Amino acid sequence: MTTFDLFLQQVINGLSLGAMYALLALGFTLVYGILELINFSHFNVFMVGSFIALWTLQQFGLSGQETILVGLPLAGVLLAAFAVTMLATGAIGVGIERFLLRPLRNVKGPAAMITTIGVSYILFNLILLTVGADSKNFPNPLPPLAFAVGGAVLRLREVLIWIVATLLMLALTFFVQRTKLGKAMRATAQDPEAARMMGVEVDRVIMTAFFLGSALAGASGLIFGLYYNFTSYLIGFNAGLRGFTAAVLGGIGNVPGAMLGGVIIGLVEAIGGQLIGTAWADVIIFAILVLVLVFRPAGLLGRLAPDRS
Amino acid sequence: MIRLRRCFAGIPAARRRQLGLLALTVFILVFPLVHDNDADIDSMANAAAYATLALGLNIVVGFAGLLDLGYAAFFAIGAYFYGVFTSFQVMPLWSDGWAPLAMLGLVEKINQGGPDLVHFTLSFWLALPAAALLAAGFGVLFGAPTLRLRGDYLAIVTLGFGEIVPIVARNAESVTNGAAGLNGVQAPRLFGWNFGVDATPYYYAGMVLVALLIFVSIRLRDSRIGRAWMAIREDEVAASAMGIDLVRLKLLAFATGAAFAGATGVFYVAKLQTATPEMFGFPVSTMVLVMVVLGGMGSVWGVVLGAAVLQLLQSWFLPDLTEWCHALGALVGNAWLQRVDFVESVELIFGVILVAMMLFRREGLIPATRPAPALSFAAQHVAGVQRGGFVGLERIGQWPKGGGNALEISGLTVRFGGLTALSNVTLTVPAGGVVAVIGPNGSGKSTLFNAITGLVPAQAGGIRFEGKDILGLKPHDILRRGVARTFQNIRLFPNLTVLENVLIGQHARLATGPVGAVLRLPRTRAEEATAVQRAIDIIALFGNRLAPRAGQTVSGLSYANRRRVEVARALATRPRLLLLDEPTAGMNPAETLELAEQIRSLHRLGLTILLIEHKLDVVTRLADTVVVLDHGGKIAEGPPDEVRRNEQVLRAYLGRAGRAAADA
Repeated sequence: MTTFDLFLQQVINGLSLGAMYALLALGFTLVYGILELINFSHFNVFMVGSFIALWTLQQFGLSGQETILVGLPLAGVLLAAFAVTMLATGAIGVGIERFLLRPLRNVKGPAAMITTIGVSYILFNLILLTVGADSKNFPNPLPPLAFAVGGAVLRLREVLIWIVATLLMLALTFFVQRTKLGKAMRATAQDPEAARMMGVEVDRVIMTAFFLGSALAGASGLIFGLYYNFTSYLIGFNAGLRGFTAAVLGGIGNVPGAMLGGVIIGLVEAIGGQLIGTAWADVIIFAILVLVLVFRPAGLLGRLAPDRS
Repeated sequence: MIRLRRCFAGIPAARRRQLGLLALTVFILVFPLVHDNDADIDSMANAAAYATLALGLNIVVGFAGLLDLGYAAFFAIGAYFYGVFTSFQVMPLWSDGWAPLAMLGLVEKINQGGPDLVHFTLSFWLALPAAALLAAGFGVLFGAPTLRLRGDYLAIVTLGFGEIVPIVARNAESVTNGAAGLNGVQAPRLFGWNFGVDATPYYYAGMVLVALLIFVSIRLRDSRIGRAWMAIREDEVAASAMGIDLVRLKLLAFATGAAFAGATGVFYVAKLQTATPEMFGFPVSTMVLVMVVLGGMGSVWGVVLGAAVLQLLQSWFLPDLTEWCHALGALVGNAWLQRVDFVESVELIFGVILVAMMLFRREGLIPATRPAPALSFAAQHVAGVQRGGFVGLERIGQWPKGGGNALEISGLTVRFGGLTALSNVTLTVPAGGVVAVIGPNGSGKSTLFNAITGLVPAQAGGIRFEGKDILGLKPHDILRRGVARTFQNIRLFPNLTVLENVLIGQHARLATGPVGAVLRLPRTRAEEATAVQRAIDIIALFGNRLAPRAGQTVSGLSYANRRRVEVARALATRPRLLLLDEPTAGMNPAETLELAEQIRSLHRLGLTILLIEHKLDVVTRLADTVVVLDHGGKIAEGPPDEVRRNEQVLRAYLGRAGRAAADA
């Protein structure tokens, strides 16, 4: 491979990672935009999502990399896997909000954030205790189709990941921009008090934000499995930190910003990892996070919600 | 038993605490002597290490309210510092330049069959303070860029930092020996005697370290520094408006916490005589956070208890519980009970503790503050009823002799995005004057105050106080120069007492630093005593309204009393110009009259006053000059009676109908 081909290959990889991080970043941004809360449970809702996806695929008799599906069965299985995973993680998100965070809604200080750390830790250890510490083989039913793009290889799974992520993001954008609940969500992000007085059911809006964010995290977890062919109880931490960095980079609270940030972080990880060494990828991502926070805390596209004091 | 309790009840609280402390000390001293089980003593020594970590994190999270999720990073820095400088990992070539260090016993010349090499032999006792300083340095390095941000961003940055340090330890193999870890770390020596591998000496060293850090924590907590930290935790904006340099004090908290962790790292590695990256990962940071949350954020004894409970839970209770369950499972033939392992699920239990504590007992096992009981009728009347203006506390202020202007604002313009909150406002407050600012809601009055005190930036214009430009200064610098304020929607430090609130007002006028606070030399004691006396004097100005409540937390006070505390806190800053933002809002007519008299007396006592007020009778009674704002611009200025008749003012306040009424 020439240097350029190598670069091209890393761009392809980076876009897939970016799709995953963007979906994850959206969950952070939706919740932060409304509650100004860093939701640490999101890290491991994503991880749990990948296990739910694994379980769903297993229900269709898929276990390793051997079973290949084509045509309608493939579409059906994938659709079912995404639907089940997203509904399940969405429900988990709603449950966390309803039973653990809503009682703390009006408590000042770090109580809510500490709660999300606790929830994250609980999810992490539940999976560790029930599934075990070794990583699990994640089935990939896609036919091993690959296209040559210059000297780089574009596999079918990459194309699928891009399509799914784009569709989900379009759907979310449509929801936020065009629907009544989406409008209520934007209003609540601007000023919850005023929104409440205008008849917006703030509780419902917050619950919707948690549902959508967690559902997207589930989709992201499934994509993780398809991309890496494995899943493990450990994957939440790194992916979550990248998703959060993506949200901050794009401007936390800003929906298009989260998507842009996700793609950038994915590309940086793939290309930076190639140039400097994958062992230091975390350091690069973290350095970006700190630099953005210090020099441009509003992110690339600015914040959706104004600073309330 | 009842007799025993009665016997204890007869002892005063302070004495009881002393007795409790004595009993605890005796128990800790005697424990290894009577309990001859090395594993248990080792568990206690580990608990001591975690207690020191919890004490350090408590300064950051509990006192200053900064959520640090990567605290273990500083632990790792201290640990690797000691590990690298006492093991055989890093051995540069020997040259004569090392000889002076060898004489000090810091290095030795060794030969492993090649050229002569340098073997570092840093003393444990030297490493403790050195690692504390090094970790504090890293605390400043990582805190400086991030502590300016909102508190919740700090959490994520520290989380990343906490992840980076083990990665560096894993990848910088030449220094740290990577994932395999450092081996052969030297055991501490004391007067030539080697600690070795027995748990008992580490147990005692750990307990001494805990005692020392408890002492430092308490000294810091009960000082000017600790009060400032708690003020930041309670309300950052109010803290900076009361003269507290936010960045400096947050950095100090961060660095102090880091120093505790650095010293603990040395102790822990010396005890284990190895250091691997896994010892300092995210689970450790979380565990220390759980200890702090369980014990009670901000509670020194609480976090020590939290650390002890969790550590002993892990090493004593859970293994026992697991065995009991297995035995029970064997008895009843239940496979799950025979398999279950609680030690493995300890982290799950940590998560549950975090969530449960937040939902059901946020103040922890030993709350940092206990709500004071309501005052009895008699207690409410221990101080005399104070009506009319303030008496006493002469020289609370003094108008400058030459007259002149206290405050000169020229062409001040403040914009929030597209909204112009103030446009080209010019205003003068003569020294010794009382100027009132009135105007409809949203006319820019509070923005004016915020701009004067440095809370919002101005886009154009100038603000001069006593002839010096103050525009662009930080709020605490502006306060230091003699401008104090109250807030329209009361910004006290709700979980602190009336006395503490007023003491925080004096922050900028006191000098005690962190070292002084810990050593508490006579000079510091004298300063503190003077400060407390002055706070009591100021509180006494309000007679029985505040004096009996000096020890109560302000969140429990009535609305009017909270307003009074805000005035008292502002007076404590020794202002020359006092900005009062709707001081009588929400007060009944009698209370309004009382406060108006008090404001007038403050003026008589030598303060220049700028006030925002809606009640026109108060304005007429107090002000020499009234300035009227509308839509961010000044529409009238003059003596109260004149302004009252001004047509533009009437229109702004009452609309057209008002004009017709005025015409009639």
